[in-house]
Amino acid sequence: MTPPPPPPPPPPSTAALPPDPGGPAAVARLRQGPGGVVADRGYALVAGLAAFLAVIAVGYLIWMTVAQTGEVWSTFGVWGFVTGTEWIPASAVGTAVYGALPFIYGTLMTSAIALVLAVPTSIGIALATTVFLPRRLRGPVGGFINLLAAVPSVIFGLWGVTVLVPFLRPALDWLANTLGGFSLFGWPIFAGPVTSGSFLVSGLVLAIMIVPIITAITREVLLTVPRDQQEAAFALGATRWEMVKHAMLPWSRSGIVGASALGLGRAVGETIAIAMLLGNSPVIFGSLLGPGATLASVIALQTGEASGLQLSALTALAVVLFLMAFAINAVARILVRRGESAGRGGGGMWSLLAFRRSVPAPAPAPQAPSGPSAPGDAAEAQSGEARDWTPRREPLPITGPDAVARKRRVRSGIAEGLIWFSLAVGIIPLVAIMWEMLSKGLPAISASFFTTLPPLDPNSYGGGISNALVGTLILMGVATVIAAPLGVLTALFISDVSKPTGWQKRLADGIGFFVDVLLGVPSIVVGLIVYLGIVVVQEQFSALAGGIALAIIMFPIVVRSADEMLRLVPVAQKEAASALGAPKWRVTWSIVLPAAGPGILTGILLGLARASGETAPLLFTSLGNQFFSTSLTEPIASIPQLIYQNTIQVQTPASLQLAWGAALVLVAIILILNLGAALLARRTRPLEAR
Amino acid sequence: MTDDVAAAEEEMVVESPDTVPTPAPDRSSPSDDDVRIAPIEVATPAASASTGPLPMYTRDLSAYFGSHKAVEDITLDFPRNTVTALIGPSGCGKSTYIRCLNRMHELVPNARCTGSVMLRDIDIYGRDADPVAVRRAVGMVFQRPNPFPTKSIRDNILAGPKFTGTKLNRSDKDDLVEETLRGAGLWDEVKNRLNAHAGGLSGGQQQRLCIARALAEEPDVLLMDEPCSALDPQSTLRIEDLIRAIKERVTIVIVTHNMQQAARVSDYTAFITIENEGEPGRLIETGPTKDVFGNPQNDRTEAYVSGRFG
Repeated sequence: MTPPPPPPPPPPSTAALPPDPGGPAAVARLRQGPGGVVADRGYALVAGLAAFLAVIAVGYLIWMTVAQTGEVWSTFGVWGFVTGTEWIPASAVGTAVYGALPFIYGTLMTSAIALVLAVPTSIGIALATTVFLPRRLRGPVGGFINLLAAVPSVIFGLWGVTVLVPFLRPALDWLANTLGGFSLFGWPIFAGPVTSGSFLVSGLVLAIMIVPIITAITREVLLTVPRDQQEAAFALGATRWEMVKHAMLPWSRSGIVGASALGLGRAVGETIAIAMLLGNSPVIFGSLLGPGATLASVIALQTGEASGLQLSALTALAVVLFLMAFAINAVARILVRRGESAGRGGGGMWSLLAFRRSVPAPAPAPQAPSGPSAPGDAAEAQSGEARDWTPRREPLPITGPDAVARKRRVRSGIAEGLIWFSLAVGIIPLVAIMWEMLSKGLPAISASFFTTLPPLDPNSYGGGISNALVGTLILMGVATVIAAPLGVLTALFISDVSKPTGWQKRLADGIGFFVDVLLGVPSIVVGLIVYLGIVVVQEQFSALAGGIALAIIMFPIVVRSADEMLRLVPVAQKEAASALGAPKWRVTWSIVLPAAGPGILTGILLGLARASGETAPLLFTSLGNQFFSTSLTEPIASIPQLIYQNTIQVQTPASLQLAWGAALVLVAIILILNLGAALLARRTRPLEAR
Repeated sequence: MTDDVAAAEEEMVVESPDTVPTPAPDRSSPSDDDVRIAPIEVATPAASASTGPLPMYTRDLSAYFGSHKAVEDITLDFPRNTVTALIGPSGCGKSTYIRCLNRMHELVPNARCTGSVMLRDIDIYGRDADPVAVRRAVGMVFQRPNPFPTKSIRDNILAGPKFTGTKLNRSDKDDLVEETLRGAGLWDEVKNRLNAHAGGLSGGQQQRLCIARALAEEPDVLLMDEPCSALDPQSTLRIEDLIRAIKERVTIVIVTHNMQQAARVSDYTAFITIENEGEPGRLIETGPTKDVFGNPQNDRTEAYVSGRFG
């Protein structure tokens, strides 16, 4: 694939060719193996080139995007645009005005509502599924929540539009009628009229969406609390809640903050569900029962028809959105670091999902027993200390109703009650979504569902999703072909090829940082980048562009998980192979990759699962197609997009039924991918345990 | 009854590990054939000093993990203000047994036990016994030091009273912290950094902090599950000093696989082992430490204490 590097200089010792077969020449030959130097350099070159290529390609697309924003800055000025409160696209009358503030407000408000609702609920669910539920139920319930983290946002949007909005309507009307006149410093929080899309409903759906994410990571973090910490609390006579409060929560505080920040990052970047539920009106401090718009939703809704100054303004919104997401992730990272350096536990899962690898904080376990720990004055210190002792109090009772103080019982009872409540509150909507999907999706599915096209008439029932199914598979294929090799090679470069010192370390760190930044880019921004960098340039929507967008989403996930897995390979194994005289590439090929292989595959499958449910990046790249197409250079249909269109643009009973059927198929695909990942991950467990 | 206990505690002063108090007569022993603390014939100066009720004893205690029986029918007495060492090869069930004594065993999935553990003559597995209250009355020190790393040294000591809802004013707290840290021989090393995180202490210091934390609850009995196995020799010696010093305030049961340690710190020794593969651990021999080590009655005990087996 790459031209062979220049022939290596012969090893100095072979040049002399001493006749003694056991001499230094033989040793040198052993050490390098035949062709070792050439192969090692080739390996390093390939890995380095892959990493470089990925960075350059994405960097080019980003540059193309940022270049697009120049017009806005020169028209309104940076400050004028960011604080501008009006967004009036060019129309027949008047001049266009573009200001970002309503969308910044919308993003912050929906995210804030979501976070306030989701964080306590998630902590409650995580505690219930690690401590309070009967042991037999913890795994299944936790697994169910994990599963919901993989449900694509378009399905939450579909559920919100068709189920939640009608269901909540009476309650919201009542709220508007009773509290409608109330306003907080001129902000009419619950003023009517109630619209179908609203901040409150959007925030609620966002909360439901991020509960699984925050719960999954919090749960992971809570599971890292060492058993001996829990036992220490129990042995002192703690109730379960007291054990949680004093042993588990302090230990995992930083991880929980990190999990919440991650949830916030997801909420801020969430596009499709919001676009389906919030409406499209730029208001600031309007009623929570009325419509609004977020940065992500306005990009999704307007980019397709925008050009000129409006496109430039939308791109500038994407830049603002990216910076917000970046700032949130950076703050989260700092918080987590600080927590860890204080000797608190981080989370294993966190390092997989978060920005940088955390500092190698030693577990707050006993320090090395040797060393200057117990000073020599031990004996003296001992002898001088008080020996006279009298009991401080009567022995406390061990039986009867007052063996544990009533106050403690009540307090622990209330805490446990709240935890059960949050479990119920968190699980109910998730079960409702599952139920809805099965009850409405199954009737839509038949054999012909997979082989026929959607009906052209939106009011006619029947038809299938053959074009979308094939399209999704093609998009997944393109994304994998691009992201998997580049991702694995980049990970190899970061953790295996580059030397841990000097410029190579700096380069590896730089690439690692870039990958982490990419991990936090909202998917709608990825869509816009590919739109501006490829679709606009080629003047052609295409499956290839959609696949590239998905690849950009997949790539950092693959790199991070592969990197993580590569680092888990015990150094002792690598050294054992090196000590046998294997050259570096052979150590990697025969020792490192087989050991890390299942883990790397897990990462690829997880990345694929994530990419396959994405809608936002496809909106203006693969576009969608009513007909059957397998061409990479033509627009192509995909399942997420079909659901989106049938829900938002068509919205007839027939189109919704098709959407639910498609949703079921999409979830099944994602489930299979996740299941495969989980099975593979199980195989890597022994490796991790070491 | 509680008055008796307090009085007995006050009048007890045991000076040397060789002092062997006479065990109390068993009232609830189900059968006299059981192996248990042998009658003490050794005349010792302090022997007459203790005739109070036994703070803790077990009768026919068996422990299970699921269907696997780990320990079978152990009947043992723990006389007041003495140190009883449980010795035996790895995996013989001595740790499982000791964890039954404060109902920690049942926290392991599918774990349970049968028989009785009597604390102040009350069965801690009885219907109205509260496990949370039992654990407060029976302290425990674990193999690996497990202070709460995010809490300060001071708050580690105060964790027990905090859990149990004991109201203490500031000076009471200060007194308790100083008194228990002195009792654990740690005061001079940490008195200037009581508000530092406990995670910053050395392993040996952490373990002494854990002992102090347990003592702050003034338990009737202190269980120690191989408390020195994660420590270096010097820290180990300090813990052993500490054990000898604190037995005047608390009855100690210590699991150890270090026979020298058992010989150094304990008044009584109980030898538990698995006789044949797949069988549960059983009590083989028990008695005053110097008898078990110096004149073992059972061949297996002799083999074990002389290092030929295990």
